[in-house]
Amino acid sequence: MLAQKHALDSNDDTEDVSLFDAEEETTNRPRKSKIRHPVASFFHLFFRVSAVVVYLLCELLSSSFIACMVTIILLLSCDFWAVKNVTGRLMVGLRWWNHIDEDGKSHWVFESRKATPQDSKTISEAESRIFWLGLIACPILWVIFAFSALFSFRVKWLAVVIMGVVLQGANLYGYIRCKVGSKKNLTTMATSYLGKQFLRQSAPDGWTLPMRLLIQQMWAWCYG
Amino acid sequence: MRDLKAVGKKFMHVLYPRKSNALLRDWDLWGPLILCVTLALMLQKSSVDGEKDGGPQFAEVFVVVWFGAVTITLNSKLLGGNISFFQSLCVLGYCILPLTVAMLICRLVLLAGQGPINFMIRLFVVAVMFAWSVIASTAFLADSQPPNRKALAVYPVFLFYFVISWMILTFTP
Repeated sequence: MLAQKHALDSNDDTEDVSLFDAEEETTNRPRKSKIRHPVASFFHLFFRVSAVVVYLLCELLSSSFIACMVTIILLLSCDFWAVKNVTGRLMVGLRWWNHIDEDGKSHWVFESRKATPQDSKTISEAESRIFWLGLIACPILWVIFAFSALFSFRVKWLAVVIMGVVLQGANLYGYIRCKVGSKKNLTTMATSYLGKQFLRQSAPDGWTLPMRLLIQQMWAWCYG
Repeated sequence: MRDLKAVGKKFMHVLYPRKSNALLRDWDLWGPLILCVTLALMLQKSSVDGEKDGGPQFAEVFVVVWFGAVTITLNSKLLGGNISFFQSLCVLGYCILPLTVAMLICRLVLLAGQGPINFMIRLFVVAVMFAWSVIASTAFLADSQPPNRKALAVYPVFLFYFVISWMILTFTP
Protein backbone atom coordinates (compact mmCIF):
# COMPACT_ATOMS: atom_id res chain seq x y z
CA MET A 1 0.00 0.00 0.00
CA LEU A 2 2.72 2.49 0.98
CA ALA A 3 4.82 1.51 -2.02
CA GLN A 4 1.89 2.19 -4.30
CA LYS A 5 1.27 5.55 -2.65
CA HIS A 6 4.87 6.51 -3.26
CA ALA A 7 4.46 5.48 -6.85
CA LEU A 8 1.62 7.95 -7.06
CA ASP A 9 3.74 10.72 -5.57
CA SER A 10 6.74 10.12 -7.82
CA ASN A 11 4.32 9.87 -10.72
CA ASP A 12 3.21 13.40 -9.99
CA ASP A 13 6.74 14.69 -9.84
CA THR A 14 8.14 13.18 -12.99
CA GLU A 15 5.12 13.22 -15.26
CA ASP A 16 4.97 16.25 -17.41
CA VAL A 17 1.22 16.60 -17.68
CA SER A 18 0.40 20.12 -16.70
CA LEU A 19 -3.19 20.86 -15.95
CA PHE A 20 -2.71 24.60 -16.23
CA ASP A 21 -1.48 25.00 -19.78
CA ALA A 22 -4.22 23.81 -22.02
CA GLU A 23 -2.80 25.46 -25.10
CA GLU A 24 0.43 23.53 -25.48
CA GLU A 25 0.81 19.81 -26.00
CA THR A 26 3.01 18.82 -23.11
CA THR A 27 2.83 15.09 -23.33
CA ASN A 28 5.21 12.88 -25.20
CA ARG A 29 3.38 9.60 -24.73
CA PRO A 30 2.14 7.87 -27.89
CA ARG A 31 -1.57 8.62 -28.20
CA LYS A 32 -4.09 6.13 -29.46
CA SER A 33 -7.48 7.21 -30.59
CA LYS A 34 -9.10 3.84 -30.96
CA ILE A 35 -11.29 2.34 -28.29
CA ARG A 36 -9.62 -0.58 -26.61
CA HIS A 37 -12.43 -1.63 -24.31
CA PRO A 38 -15.69 -1.18 -26.23
CA VAL A 39 -17.78 -3.14 -23.72
CA ALA A 40 -16.54 -1.10 -20.78
CA SER A 41 -17.10 2.17 -22.65
CA PHE A 42 -20.60 1.11 -23.61
CA PHE A 43 -21.58 0.15 -20.09
CA HIS A 44 -19.97 3.24 -18.60
CA LEU A 45 -22.38 5.39 -20.57
CA PHE A 46 -25.32 2.98 -20.72
CA PHE A 47 -26.20 2.85 -17.03
CA ARG A 48 -25.84 6.58 -16.46
CA VAL A 49 -27.75 7.67 -19.52
CA SER A 50 -30.54 5.13 -19.05
CA ALA A 51 -31.03 6.21 -15.41
CA VAL A 52 -31.46 9.80 -16.61
CA VAL A 53 -33.76 8.73 -19.45
CA VAL A 54 -35.96 6.61 -17.17
CA TYR A 55 -36.23 9.50 -14.72
CA LEU A 56 -37.29 11.90 -17.46
CA LEU A 57 -39.72 9.54 -19.17
CA CYS A 58 -41.16 7.88 -16.07
CA GLU A 59 -44.61 9.28 -16.52
CA LEU A 60 -44.81 8.05 -20.08
CA LEU A 61 -43.23 4.64 -19.58
CA SER A 62 -45.30 3.28 -16.73
CA SER A 63 -48.00 4.48 -14.40
CA SER A 64 -46.36 2.87 -11.40
CA PHE A 65 -44.13 5.17 -9.41
CA ILE A 66 -42.64 2.23 -7.53
CA ALA A 67 -41.47 0.42 -10.65
CA CYS A 68 -39.76 3.56 -11.96
CA MET A 69 -38.12 4.26 -8.62
CA VAL A 70 -36.81 0.71 -8.22
CA THR A 71 -35.53 0.70 -11.81
CA ILE A 72 -33.68 3.97 -11.32
CA ILE A 73 -32.20 2.75 -8.03
CA LEU A 74 -31.02 -0.46 -9.69
CA LEU A 75 -29.49 1.43 -12.60
CA LEU A 76 -27.74 3.89 -10.29
CA SER A 77 -26.31 1.06 -8.21
CA CYS A 78 -25.07 -0.86 -11.25
CA ASP A 79 -23.56 2.33 -12.61
CA PHE A 80 -21.78 3.08 -9.35
CA TRP A 81 -20.32 -0.41 -9.13
CA ALA A 82 -19.31 -0.51 -12.79
CA VAL A 83 -17.65 2.90 -12.83
CA LYS A 84 -15.86 2.45 -9.54
CA ASN A 85 -14.60 -1.09 -10.04
CA VAL A 86 -14.31 -1.66 -13.76
CA THR A 87 -14.44 1.24 -16.16
CA GLY A 88 -12.18 3.63 -14.26
CA ARG A 89 -9.47 1.00 -14.03
CA LEU A 90 -9.76 -0.10 -17.65
CA MET A 91 -10.34 3.19 -19.42
CA VAL A 92 -8.15 5.70 -17.61
CA GLY A 93 -6.07 3.63 -15.21
CA LEU A 94 -7.34 5.22 -11.99
CA ARG A 95 -8.82 3.62 -8.92
CA TRP A 96 -9.84 4.57 -5.39
CA TRP A 97 -11.04 2.72 -2.34
CA ASN A 98 -11.32 2.76 1.42
CA HIS A 99 -9.01 0.79 3.63
CA ILE A 100 -9.44 0.17 7.34
CA ASP A 101 -6.27 -0.68 9.21
CA GLU A 102 -5.72 -2.56 12.45
CA ASP A 103 -6.61 0.36 14.70
CA GLY A 104 -9.97 0.84 13.08
CA LYS A 105 -8.97 4.04 11.33
CA SER A 106 -10.16 4.42 7.81
CA HIS A 107 -7.93 5.61 4.99
CA TRP A 108 -9.04 6.63 1.53
CA VAL A 109 -6.57 5.49 -1.11
CA PHE A 110 -6.41 7.10 -4.54
CA GLU A 111 -4.16 5.59 -7.20
CA SER A 112 -3.27 6.21 -10.77
CA ARG A 113 -1.43 3.84 -13.03
CA LYS A 114 2.10 4.79 -13.97
CA ALA A 115 2.67 5.43 -17.66
CA THR A 116 5.05 2.84 -19.07
CA PRO A 117 6.66 2.98 -22.51
CA GLN A 118 4.89 -0.23 -23.51
CA ASP A 119 2.07 0.15 -25.98
CA SER A 120 -0.48 -1.87 -24.10
CA LYS A 121 -0.50 0.38 -21.06
CA THR A 122 -1.10 3.77 -22.65
CA ILE A 123 -4.42 5.42 -22.19
CA SER A 124 -6.41 5.85 -25.33
CA GLU A 125 -7.56 9.36 -26.06
CA ALA A 126 -11.07 8.46 -27.19
CA GLU A 127 -11.71 6.33 -24.11
CA SER A 128 -10.42 9.03 -21.82
CA ARG A 129 -12.72 11.55 -23.46
CA ILE A 130 -15.75 9.27 -23.16
CA PHE A 131 -14.93 8.51 -19.54
CA TRP A 132 -14.56 12.08 -18.37
CA LEU A 133 -17.51 13.40 -20.34
CA GLY A 134 -19.78 10.73 -18.90
CA LEU A 135 -18.38 11.21 -15.43
CA ILE A 136 -18.80 14.98 -15.33
CA ALA A 137 -22.03 15.50 -17.25
CA CYS A 138 -24.30 13.16 -15.33
CA PRO A 139 -23.86 14.47 -11.76
CA ILE A 140 -24.51 17.97 -13.12
CA LEU A 141 -27.75 16.69 -14.63
CA TRP A 142 -28.78 15.08 -11.34
CA VAL A 143 -28.12 18.31 -9.45
CA ILE A 144 -30.33 20.14 -11.95
CA PHE A 145 -33.04 17.51 -11.39
CA ALA A 146 -32.70 17.96 -7.63
CA PHE A 147 -33.37 21.68 -7.90
CA SER A 148 -36.25 21.16 -10.29
CA ALA A 149 -37.84 18.56 -8.03
CA LEU A 150 -37.45 20.86 -5.05
CA PHE A 151 -38.91 23.92 -6.74
CA SER A 152 -41.75 22.19 -8.52
CA PHE A 153 -42.71 20.41 -5.28
CA ARG A 154 -42.41 16.89 -6.69
CA VAL A 155 -40.97 15.90 -3.37
CA LYS A 156 -41.53 12.16 -3.69
CA TRP A 157 -38.85 12.04 -6.36
CA LEU A 158 -36.34 13.74 -4.09
CA ALA A 159 -35.20 10.49 -2.50
CA VAL A 160 -34.17 9.03 -5.85
CA VAL A 161 -32.61 12.25 -7.11
CA ILE A 162 -30.57 12.72 -3.95
CA MET A 163 -29.37 9.14 -4.26
CA GLY A 164 -28.33 9.87 -7.84
CA VAL A 165 -26.44 12.99 -6.82
CA VAL A 166 -24.67 11.20 -3.96
CA LEU A 167 -23.63 8.08 -5.91
CA GLN A 168 -22.47 9.82 -9.04
CA GLY A 169 -20.95 12.69 -7.13
CA ALA A 170 -18.95 10.21 -5.05
CA ASN A 171 -17.47 8.63 -8.17
CA LEU A 172 -16.71 12.02 -9.66
CA TYR A 173 -14.99 13.19 -6.48
CA GLY A 174 -13.02 9.96 -6.14
CA TYR A 175 -11.69 10.07 -9.69
CA ILE A 176 -10.84 13.75 -9.55
CA ARG A 177 -8.85 13.05 -6.39
CA CYS A 178 -7.07 10.22 -8.22
CA LYS A 179 -6.30 12.45 -11.15
CA VAL A 180 -5.07 15.38 -9.12
CA GLY A 181 -2.97 13.28 -6.78
CA SER A 182 -2.91 13.04 -3.04
CA LYS A 183 -0.46 15.85 -2.40
CA LYS A 184 -2.17 18.76 -4.05
CA ASN A 185 -5.07 20.34 -2.29
CA LEU A 186 -8.06 20.70 -4.60
CA THR A 187 -9.12 24.14 -3.47
CA THR A 188 -5.67 25.71 -3.60
CA MET A 189 -5.16 24.23 -7.03
CA ALA A 190 -8.47 25.56 -8.30
CA THR A 191 -7.91 29.04 -6.93
CA SER A 192 -4.35 29.28 -8.21
CA TYR A 193 -5.49 28.11 -11.64
CA LEU A 194 -8.29 30.65 -11.83
CA GLY A 195 -6.00 33.35 -10.52
CA LYS A 196 -3.44 32.64 -13.24
CA GLN A 197 -6.09 32.67 -15.93
CA PHE A 198 -7.60 35.95 -14.79
CA LEU A 199 -4.22 37.61 -14.73
CA ARG A 200 -3.38 36.29 -18.16
CA GLN A 201 -6.52 37.47 -19.88
CA SER A 202 -6.16 41.12 -20.73
CA ALA A 203 -9.78 41.83 -21.63
CA PRO A 204 -12.17 39.57 -19.77
CA ASP A 205 -15.43 39.32 -21.65
CA GLY A 206 -17.98 38.88 -18.95
CA TRP A 207 -19.73 35.60 -18.27
CA THR A 208 -18.21 33.69 -21.18
CA LEU A 209 -14.82 33.71 -19.52
CA PRO A 210 -15.61 31.23 -16.75
CA MET A 211 -17.34 28.97 -19.26
CA ARG A 212 -14.31 29.00 -21.54
CA LEU A 213 -12.04 28.28 -18.59
CA LEU A 214 -14.21 25.36 -17.53
CA ILE A 215 -14.24 23.87 -21.02
CA GLN A 216 -10.50 24.36 -21.38
CA GLN A 217 -9.97 22.57 -18.08
CA MET A 218 -12.19 19.70 -19.11
CA TRP A 219 -10.34 19.17 -22.39
CA ALA A 220 -7.05 19.40 -20.53
CA TRP A 221 -8.18 16.60 -18.26
CA CYS A 222 -9.34 14.56 -21.22
CA TYR A 223 -6.00 14.87 -22.95
CA GLY A 224 -4.02 14.57 -19.74
CA MET B 1 -17.98 -12.66 -7.72
CA ARG B 2 -15.96 -11.16 -4.98
CA ASP B 3 -18.47 -8.52 -3.96
CA LEU B 4 -21.43 -10.89 -3.94
CA LYS B 5 -19.52 -13.35 -1.77
CA ALA B 6 -18.63 -10.57 0.67
CA VAL B 7 -22.26 -9.53 0.94
CA GLY B 8 -23.37 -13.15 1.47
CA LYS B 9 -20.74 -13.67 4.16
CA LYS B 10 -21.98 -10.61 6.03
CA PHE B 11 -25.56 -11.88 5.92
CA MET B 12 -24.41 -15.13 7.52
CA HIS B 13 -22.57 -13.15 10.20
CA VAL B 14 -25.76 -11.32 11.07
CA LEU B 15 -27.77 -14.52 11.31
CA TYR B 16 -25.21 -16.15 13.60
CA PRO B 17 -23.57 -13.27 15.46
CA ARG B 18 -20.11 -14.17 16.60
CA LYS B 19 -17.38 -11.98 17.92
CA SER B 20 -15.63 -11.52 14.61
CA ASN B 21 -14.55 -8.43 12.80
CA ALA B 22 -15.66 -9.33 9.30
CA LEU B 23 -18.60 -6.92 9.32
CA LEU B 24 -16.50 -4.09 10.60
CA ARG B 25 -13.30 -4.40 8.60
CA ASP B 26 -14.61 -4.61 5.03
CA TRP B 27 -17.72 -2.52 5.00
CA ASP B 28 -20.01 -2.25 2.03
CA LEU B 29 -23.43 -0.75 1.66
CA TRP B 30 -24.89 -3.14 -0.92
CA GLY B 31 -26.57 -5.34 1.70
CA PRO B 32 -28.32 -2.43 3.41
CA LEU B 33 -29.49 -1.14 0.03
CA ILE B 34 -30.95 -4.51 -0.97
CA LEU B 35 -32.63 -4.94 2.42
CA CYS B 36 -34.02 -1.42 2.36
CA VAL B 37 -35.50 -1.82 -1.11
CA THR B 38 -36.97 -5.24 -0.21
CA LEU B 39 -38.52 -3.92 2.98
CA ALA B 40 -39.93 -0.87 1.21
CA LEU B 41 -41.43 -3.03 -1.53
CA MET B 42 -43.06 -5.36 0.98
CA LEU B 43 -44.49 -2.49 3.03
CA GLN B 44 -46.64 -1.30 0.15
CA LYS B 45 -50.34 -1.00 0.64
CA SER B 46 -52.10 -2.49 -2.32
CA SER B 47 -54.36 0.17 -3.80
CA VAL B 48 -57.27 -0.24 -6.15
CA ASP B 49 -56.09 2.04 -8.91
CA GLY B 50 -52.52 2.36 -10.09
CA GLU B 51 -52.50 6.16 -9.93
CA LYS B 52 -52.09 6.75 -6.25
CA ASP B 53 -49.89 3.79 -5.52
CA GLY B 54 -47.56 3.65 -2.55
CA GLY B 55 -45.11 6.31 -3.54
CA PRO B 56 -44.96 8.09 -0.20
CA GLN B 57 -44.69 4.85 1.80
CA PHE B 58 -41.76 3.68 -0.30
CA ALA B 59 -39.85 6.92 0.20
CA GLU B 60 -40.88 6.93 3.87
CA VAL B 61 -39.19 3.59 4.56
CA PHE B 62 -36.07 4.77 2.78
CA VAL B 63 -35.95 8.00 4.74
CA VAL B 64 -36.57 6.29 8.09
CA VAL B 65 -33.89 3.68 7.54
CA TRP B 66 -31.13 5.87 6.15
CA PHE B 67 -31.79 8.96 8.22
CA GLY B 68 -32.11 6.85 11.35
CA ALA B 69 -28.86 5.03 10.65
CA VAL B 70 -27.04 8.32 10.03
CA THR B 71 -28.40 9.76 13.28
CA ILE B 72 -27.29 6.75 15.30
CA THR B 73 -23.85 6.93 13.73
CA LEU B 74 -23.51 10.62 14.54
CA ASN B 75 -24.65 9.92 18.08
CA SER B 76 -22.08 7.21 18.62
CA LYS B 77 -19.31 9.31 17.11
CA LEU B 78 -20.21 12.27 19.31
CA LEU B 79 -20.07 10.00 22.34
CA GLY B 80 -16.47 9.26 21.47
CA GLY B 81 -16.67 5.94 19.72
CA ASN B 82 -13.84 4.95 17.42
CA ILE B 83 -15.85 3.43 14.63
CA SER B 84 -15.91 5.03 11.24
CA PHE B 85 -19.03 6.48 9.67
CA PHE B 86 -19.50 3.89 6.95
CA GLN B 87 -18.69 0.94 9.20
CA SER B 88 -21.50 1.91 11.52
CA LEU B 89 -23.92 2.40 8.62
CA CYS B 90 -22.89 -1.01 7.31
CA VAL B 91 -23.56 -2.79 10.62
CA LEU B 92 -26.90 -1.10 11.21
CA GLY B 93 -28.04 -1.81 7.67
CA TYR B 94 -27.08 -5.46 7.70
CA CYS B 95 -28.80 -6.04 11.05
CA ILE B 96 -32.13 -5.14 9.44
CA LEU B 97 -32.05 -8.65 7.94
CA PRO B 98 -33.99 -10.37 10.79
CA LEU B 99 -36.71 -7.73 10.55
CA THR B 100 -36.97 -8.25 6.80
CA VAL B 101 -37.47 -11.96 7.44
CA ALA B 102 -40.14 -11.03 9.99
CA MET B 103 -41.86 -8.89 7.34
CA LEU B 104 -41.88 -11.83 4.96
CA ILE B 105 -43.41 -14.11 7.58
CA CYS B 106 -45.99 -11.46 8.50
CA ARG B 107 -47.09 -11.10 4.91
CA LEU B 108 -47.48 -14.84 4.59
CA VAL B 109 -49.44 -15.04 7.85
CA LEU B 110 -51.69 -12.17 6.74
CA LEU B 111 -52.71 -14.16 3.66
CA ALA B 112 -54.74 -16.32 6.02
CA GLY B 113 -56.94 -13.41 7.01
CA GLN B 114 -56.86 -11.13 10.04
CA GLY B 115 -57.88 -11.82 13.61
CA PRO B 116 -56.55 -11.89 17.17
CA ILE B 117 -54.66 -15.20 16.77
CA ASN B 118 -53.11 -13.83 13.61
CA PHE B 119 -52.04 -10.75 15.49
CA MET B 120 -50.51 -12.76 18.34
CA ILE B 121 -48.44 -14.81 15.91
CA ARG B 122 -47.21 -11.70 14.16
CA LEU B 123 -46.44 -9.99 17.45
CA PHE B 124 -44.40 -12.96 18.60
CA VAL B 125 -42.44 -13.22 15.35
CA VAL B 126 -41.72 -9.50 15.19
CA ALA B 127 -40.67 -9.41 18.85
CA VAL B 128 -38.23 -12.30 18.39
CA MET B 129 -36.71 -10.78 15.25
CA PHE B 130 -36.49 -7.36 16.90
CA ALA B 131 -34.53 -8.87 19.79
CA TRP B 132 -32.28 -10.67 17.30
CA SER B 133 -31.55 -7.44 15.40
CA VAL B 134 -30.74 -5.51 18.55
CA ILE B 135 -28.49 -8.26 19.92
CA ALA B 136 -26.67 -8.67 16.59
CA SER B 137 -25.99 -4.97 16.16
CA THR B 138 -24.95 -4.34 19.74
CA ALA B 139 -22.56 -7.28 19.52
CA PHE B 140 -20.75 -5.37 16.82
CA LEU B 141 -21.22 -1.80 17.90
CA ALA B 142 -20.81 -1.92 21.68
CA ASP B 143 -17.12 -2.78 21.49
CA SER B 144 -16.25 0.49 19.90
CA GLN B 145 -17.54 2.57 22.80
CA PRO B 146 -15.83 3.38 26.10
CA PRO B 147 -17.31 1.19 28.86
CA ASN B 148 -19.30 3.83 30.72
CA ARG B 149 -21.03 4.99 27.54
CA LYS B 150 -22.23 1.70 26.18
CA ALA B 151 -25.86 2.14 27.21
CA LEU B 152 -25.98 5.68 25.82
CA ALA B 153 -24.77 4.44 22.46
CA VAL B 154 -27.03 1.40 22.38
CA TYR B 155 -30.43 2.88 23.21
CA PRO B 156 -30.82 4.74 19.86
CA VAL B 157 -30.27 1.40 18.13
CA PHE B 158 -33.10 0.02 20.24
CA LEU B 159 -35.37 2.90 19.17
CA PHE B 160 -34.39 2.54 15.51
CA TYR B 161 -35.28 -1.12 15.30
CA PHE B 162 -38.38 -0.50 17.40
CA VAL B 163 -39.70 2.00 14.86
CA ILE B 164 -39.07 -0.44 12.01
CA SER B 165 -40.72 -3.28 13.95
CA TRP B 166 -43.71 -1.02 14.61
CA MET B 167 -44.03 -0.29 10.89
CA ILE B 168 -43.96 -4.02 10.21
CA LEU B 169 -46.41 -4.95 12.94
CA THR B 170 -48.99 -2.31 12.03
CA PHE B 171 -48.90 -3.14 8.35
CA THR B 172 -52.25 -4.14 6.90
CA PRO B 173 -52.54 -4.84 3.18
